[in-house]
Amino acid sequence: MGKVIVITSGKGGVGKTTTTANIGTGLAMLGNKVVVLDADIGLRNLDVVMGLENRIVYDLVDVVEKNCRLKQGLIKDKRYDSLYLLPAAQTKDKNAVKPEQMLELTHELREEFDFVLIDSPAGIEQGFQNAIVGADEAVIVTTPEISAVRDADRVIGLLEAKGLHNPKLIINRIRPDMVKKGDMMNIDDMIDILAIDLLGVVPDDEAIVISTNKGEPVVTDEKAMSGKAYQNICRRILGEEVELLNFDSEEGKFSRIMKILFGK
Amino acid sequence: MNQDLVVFKGTQDGLYIYIKDGNFNSIKKELDKKLKNSISFFEGGQIIDFKGRKLSEDEENELRRIIKDKYKIKIAEGVKEEVKEEVEIFKGIGEGMTKFVKTTLRSGQFISYKGNVVIFGDLNPGSVVEAWGNIVVLGTLRGIAHAGSNGNKEAIVAAFHLQPTQLRIANFIARCPDEENAEESKWPEIAKIEGEEVIIETYLPKK
Repeated sequence: MGKVIVITSGKGGVGKTTTTANIGTGLAMLGNKVVVLDADIGLRNLDVVMGLENRIVYDLVDVVEKNCRLKQGLIKDKRYDSLYLLPAAQTKDKNAVKPEQMLELTHELREEFDFVLIDSPAGIEQGFQNAIVGADEAVIVTTPEISAVRDADRVIGLLEAKGLHNPKLIINRIRPDMVKKGDMMNIDDMIDILAIDLLGVVPDDEAIVISTNKGEPVVTDEKAMSGKAYQNICRRILGEEVELLNFDSEEGKFSRIMKILFGK
Repeated sequence: MNQDLVVFKGTQDGLYIYIKDGNFNSIKKELDKKLKNSISFFEGGQIIDFKGRKLSEDEENELRRIIKDKYKIKIAEGVKEEVKEEVEIFKGIGEGMTKFVKTTLRSGQFISYKGNVVIFGDLNPGSVVEAWGNIVVLGTLRGIAHAGSNGNKEAIVAAFHLQPTQLRIANFIARCPDEENAEESKWPEIAKIEGEEVIIETYLPKK
């Protein structure tokens, strides 16, 4: 019996889809059977980020309306055999699916997979409600901006009202240099406000832009800092204790050595 | 030959009324006459449905009134045969119904037509065009095009720039190979089925 995890944020553009693609791929890399489900009907993106757009024949709406079998709707990833995508419909809207149908679908999927990851649409309307209805756990993605944190806070409240307690937080697009200078909200400030467990911190990284455009999740990139951050997030989801990455740049490493050497 | 506008046909389930193409008033008159002449034949039986010429709702209701109210013949209610219409494969790809779309189709836009479709504009990724016949795009085709969608394998997809997310013709589905070395063609191209494959070639092979 698998786990259903919804990835949501309230605010748009904070990296829900990127996070879903990377966690999904990362968990599959670690040998789990994973399905990522795009609940953003009408504005689907997950297929593009995963580079599977040209394989889509059937979609979520076809599956819940039983125009096709579930198996036909699932698209196998091109890199990992244990990773599947269930794409959203692009020519419909959020009302094309009812919460009961989503619930039934997630039940069906969790029988087959270790992890069912749901990429929620932005907002708190029907699409969001559909995305969370079948979830056991929630992951909140936010960026170090007041607006994103505010929306995340609102969403955490809504999730609790629906019985989804203890969501985990991913802070995306952190720029360590700016945080250091005090120009960006720091991690502790955000955790202070949101008061939920931190699942991981992902640095702002050019590699993400490149990988998104190429349709290859950055988690597969050994060299990228953001890729490592996502790998760690996946291991934490599996229950491992992994320390937070140290984002200090070269200079930072040097100063740390100095600290060790001179006890400063 | 006004005689055969209306024909009764018996089947196991009951009577069907076949209506041929013609003036509705003549049809009405003929139906009335035929029922009057052979009213005894219909007694006890029931009429299942109309077939043949498409009737508008008003027309059908009018005929039903004549049958039911004037001659007291039963009409099966709601047993209307499951719309099992075996739609014939669209054959008008040489010459036939065509829809002209005078705009670019953007992501999420969807056009479905029981004939050929010509797009004056682009087909962006995420858009879908489904046509029983050919699809011609006077622009760049980046979305999904499904030609011959009710089964015609002779249908083609043509575009000034053919870079589809996916191409479908009849029940064939094709997509670009994953390796991104596919060179963009400078020429307009045409996609069709040859054997069991979707192939792409230039319009003007001699150039």
